[in-house]
Amino acid sequence: MNVYQPFTVRVAEVTDETADTRTLKLEFTDPAVAERFDFRAGQFGEYSVFGAGECTFCIASPPTRKGYIECSFKSVGKVTKAMRELNVGDVMGFRGPYGNHFPLPSLYGKSVVFVAGGIGLAPVRCVIWNVLDLRDKFKDVTIVYGARTVADLVYKRELEEWGKRPDVKLWTTVDPGGETPDWKGKVGFVPAIVEQAAPSARDAVAVVCGPPIMIKFTLPVLKKLGFTDDRIYTTLENRMKCGIGKCGRCNIGHVYVCKDGPVFTAAEMAALPPEF
Amino acid sequence: MNATTISSSDLSGLAADLLAARVRVAGPARASDGTVEYRHAGAPAELVLDSGVPRRSLKEFFLPPTEPLFAWRTGAGGRVELLEAPLPADPAVVIGARPCDAAGIEALDKVMGWDYRDEPWFARREATTIVSLACAGFDRSCMCTSVGLAPDTTKGSDLLLVPIGGGAFRAEVVTAKGARLVAAYPARFRPASGEAEAEAFRKAAREKVAASAPPAADPLRPWLDAHFDHPLWREASLRCHGCGACAAVCPTCHCFDIVDEPETVGTGVRRRNWDTCQTPRFTIHASGHNPKNDQPARIRQRVLHKIVIYPKKFGEMLCTGCGRCSRACPGGMDLPEVLARIAALAGGAQ
Amino acid sequence: MTELRELAKKLLAEGAAKVVIGWEEGPRGVRPAFATDAAAADRLVFDARCAHDLAPYLDRRRVHVAKLGRPAVVVKPCDARAVAGLIRETQVKREDVVLVGVRCGGVLADPEAGGTLSADTIADRCRTCDSRETALADHVVGTPVEPLAAPSRRDARVAELDAMTPAQRWAFWQGELARCTRCNACRQVCPLCYCDRCMADKTQPQWIESSPHGRGNLSWHLLRAIHLAGRCVDCGECERACPSGIPLGLITRKVASVVADRFGHKPGDDPAVPSPIGTWRSDDPQEFIL
Repeated sequence: MNVYQPFTVRVAEVTDETADTRTLKLEFTDPAVAERFDFRAGQFGEYSVFGAGECTFCIASPPTRKGYIECSFKSVGKVTKAMRELNVGDVMGFRGPYGNHFPLPSLYGKSVVFVAGGIGLAPVRCVIWNVLDLRDKFKDVTIVYGARTVADLVYKRELEEWGKRPDVKLWTTVDPGGETPDWKGKVGFVPAIVEQAAPSARDAVAVVCGPPIMIKFTLPVLKKLGFTDDRIYTTLENRMKCGIGKCGRCNIGHVYVCKDGPVFTAAEMAALPPEF
Repeated sequence: MNATTISSSDLSGLAADLLAARVRVAGPARASDGTVEYRHAGAPAELVLDSGVPRRSLKEFFLPPTEPLFAWRTGAGGRVELLEAPLPADPAVVIGARPCDAAGIEALDKVMGWDYRDEPWFARREATTIVSLACAGFDRSCMCTSVGLAPDTTKGSDLLLVPIGGGAFRAEVVTAKGARLVAAYPARFRPASGEAEAEAFRKAAREKVAASAPPAADPLRPWLDAHFDHPLWREASLRCHGCGACAAVCPTCHCFDIVDEPETVGTGVRRRNWDTCQTPRFTIHASGHNPKNDQPARIRQRVLHKIVIYPKKFGEMLCTGCGRCSRACPGGMDLPEVLARIAALAGGAQ
Repeated sequence: MTELRELAKKLLAEGAAKVVIGWEEGPRGVRPAFATDAAAADRLVFDARCAHDLAPYLDRRRVHVAKLGRPAVVVKPCDARAVAGLIRETQVKREDVVLVGVRCGGVLADPEAGGTLSADTIADRCRTCDSRETALADHVVGTPVEPLAAPSRRDARVAELDAMTPAQRWAFWQGELARCTRCNACRQVCPLCYCDRCMADKTQPQWIESSPHGRGNLSWHLLRAIHLAGRCVDCGECERACPSGIPLGLITRKVASVVADRFGHKPGDDPAVPSPIGTWRSDDPQEFIL
C-alpha cells in the first residue's frame, strides 16, 4: 500500500454545528487499524470522499478518546460538499495522522489559555478535551471563544458543558451585531475579550487559532498579559494535497506546514517570511 | 574511480542487448516534429546521443505527468474496496541522459524520501539505471556551474560516459548499479583508456559553461533571506504569463496535485498529476485567501524553492542549471539573468 | 526602430501612457518589455523576431502589470486582432489603452534563431496573413512592407489530416496530445483565454479531467478549440509556447477554416464586427440540430 492510499472509515455520527458547518464522527472499518491508530493533539489528516477527492482538516476529537476520530468542516468546495452528502454508515477515506502536535506532556502542571475564533475552535477543541480528560495534570483552564454571530458558534453543546464546569473559565463572545436577544455571552471581538478575561500568564501557555486577523490582534494582547512568544502556540493551515511534505503547496519559507507544523509557537511564526 | 571504455557501436550494441533482455531502454530520441525528447526506444538506432537538450527533463520517467495511486470500487452495502496501484518495477536503463537531468533525479530523492517514502518514485529509481553522457556545454542558458554542478557531474548517474574521440567514451562507474550493468554485459566494454582525453573534454566543457553562467547561487542566500519583499520580484515577473511551462520542463520541479477521477458509477481512480506553483489555484485556500496572491509572489516562490528553501531543508540545490526554464518560457523569463541580478544586488549591498 | 522609440518616449513624457509594452533584446533573442522610462523606451525593438503577442498583458487580472498604470501596447496586425477581440468582448476599453501599430511583414518561424525573413524562414501563420498594418491603432510606425509569397505548409498539413480516415486522424492526434502535460502554457499566453475561471479549472462540476492522460488531454484541447472558434486571431502563441511541441496551430487553423466556411467570419481588428460565437442570426447554419 503506497503512502497515498487511505484507510477506509465509516461515518458513525453526523452533527450539524451551524448552517454550513458539520462534524462527522468516523470509525475505522478495519478493527486492526482502529486498534493501533494513535495520534497527538494538533495533528491533521487527509479526508476523502471517493470520486470527489481529498481535503485537509485537523483531527477535532482528542487522542484521549479511542476508536474514532472527528472532523468539522464548512461545505465550500467539491470535497466538503461531497462530505456533506454523507450519511451515517457511509464510507470515506482518511490518511494520517500527519504533522507535529501540541507538546502536551511538557505542559503538565501549567495553566492553559485557549483562544479561538469561528471554526478555528476545531483544532483547539481537540486540545481542550485532551486537557480536560487529563484535568488533574493542568492548573487553570481558560477558554475564550468567539464567532461572528451566535449562529456561527460551533460545538454549542460542548460550550454549554464547558461553561457549567467549575474547573473551566469560559468566555464566549460574538462580534457586535451578531448577538441574539437571549445571548448571555459577551459582545465584542475576541482580542478585546481576551483582554477582559485577563488570564494570568504565570506558569501558563496560550493556544490560539482562528482567522488571521483575529490572531494578528490577539497576539499583542497576550504579550501585554505577559505571554512570551515561546509560550503562545497556534496551528497554521495552508492548502495541502499530500500532507507528507512532497507536493510543494504548503511551505512558508523553508517550513513545510504539513511536516514542520501545523503547530507553531508565535516565536517560530515570527521567524517566517510574511506569506500566510 | 573505476572506469572502462565503450565505443559508440558497442553502446548501440548494449542498447540492443538490453532490449533483447526485455529491459526498457530510454534516451534522447526524435519526436514527430523532429525535436529531441527522452523516449522509450524500440530499437538502438532511435537513440540520438549528444543532440542537444531534450525538450523535457528525465523526471517523467520517475514521476510521470499522471499516475494512478489506487482505484476504488464500491460494493454491496456501501462497502468500499481499494485496489492498490501496482508498483512500477520494470527494469529500465536510460542511455544518454544529460548529467544535469540525472543530478535532478538524485536531488529529488531527498524530498521523496524524508520520513514518508514515496514508493512509486523509489520503485522506479531502483529499477532504473542511468547512463549519462557528459555534456560539452549546450547554450547560454546553461548554468550548472552556478549551482555547484558541472557538465560532467556524476551526481545521479550510475555510469558517466565521457567522449574521448574516435566515437568512443570513457565510462566511469559511479554506483554499484552502474558496476552491475558493466558486469552484466562484459563484451560491450573494453579496458579503460583515454583518461587524458576525457579530462580535456571535461575541462573544456566546464570552462565553456562557466564563461556564460551567472555567479554561484549559494552565496546569494543571505541576501535573499533579508530581502523577501524586494522590488526585484515585481520587475522580474512582469513578463511571466503564469503558465507552468517552466515547471513542466524542469528536472527538479516536482510539485503535484492529487485528484479523483470516477470511471463508472462506484468506481474510479485517485491519481497524482504534475502541478505548478505558478498558478493561483496552487495555493488558494477554501476561504478564498491566497498566501501567494500575485505573480511576483509565485515567481519568488519558484526561485526561492530552488536556491533557498530546498537547500535549507535538504542540503542541496533544487536547480541543476539545465537552462530549460529559460528556453521554454514564452515570456522570455530567464533564471540566469535573475540570479545575476540578485548577485549584483547582493554585491552592492555588501 | 528610432520612430518606435521616439514615439514611446513621447507617450511616456506626455503621460499618454505610463508603460509602453513592446519588445526588447533579452538573453535569448527578443522578449516582452515594459518600458516605464525613456531609457527603457530606448531599448525597445521591433523586427521579425517579435513573435510574442503582447495583448495578454492587457488582462486586468495581471495585477502586477496593471499596477504600472495606463498601458500603450505595440501591436502587429495579429496582436491588434487580439486587442479587438478583448474590446469586442468587453475585457478592455478602447480608451484605456494606447495602441501602437507596427507595420509587419511576418515574423520568423524560429524567432530565437534570428536571421532574415524569407520564404523559408517566415512563420507559417504569417504566410496566410493578409494584414500588413492595423486600422485599430492610435499610431502606426515602421515602413510599409510587401507580403512574402510562400505556400502554407500548415494548410497543406491540415489538408493531409482532412484526407485521412477518422481512425488515422484519431491516431495522429492521440500521438500528439499524448505529449501534453497540461502545463497550461497554451491557455496562459492566449490573448483570448482570459476567463476568470477556466472551464478546465472548474471542479463543480468537473467538466474536464485535469489529468494529462488521453481522455483529459483530448477533452481539454477540444474544449479550447471550440471556445476559440471564431475568436482565435492566429497569433500563433499557443503553439510557440507549448513546451512539448504539440502542433496546436493545426487545430486553430482547421477551426478557423470551418468558421469561415460556415459563418463567413474571419476575426479582424474591428471591434464593432461581432463574432459568430457571440451573436445569433436567423440564417445561421443549423442543420446539425436534429
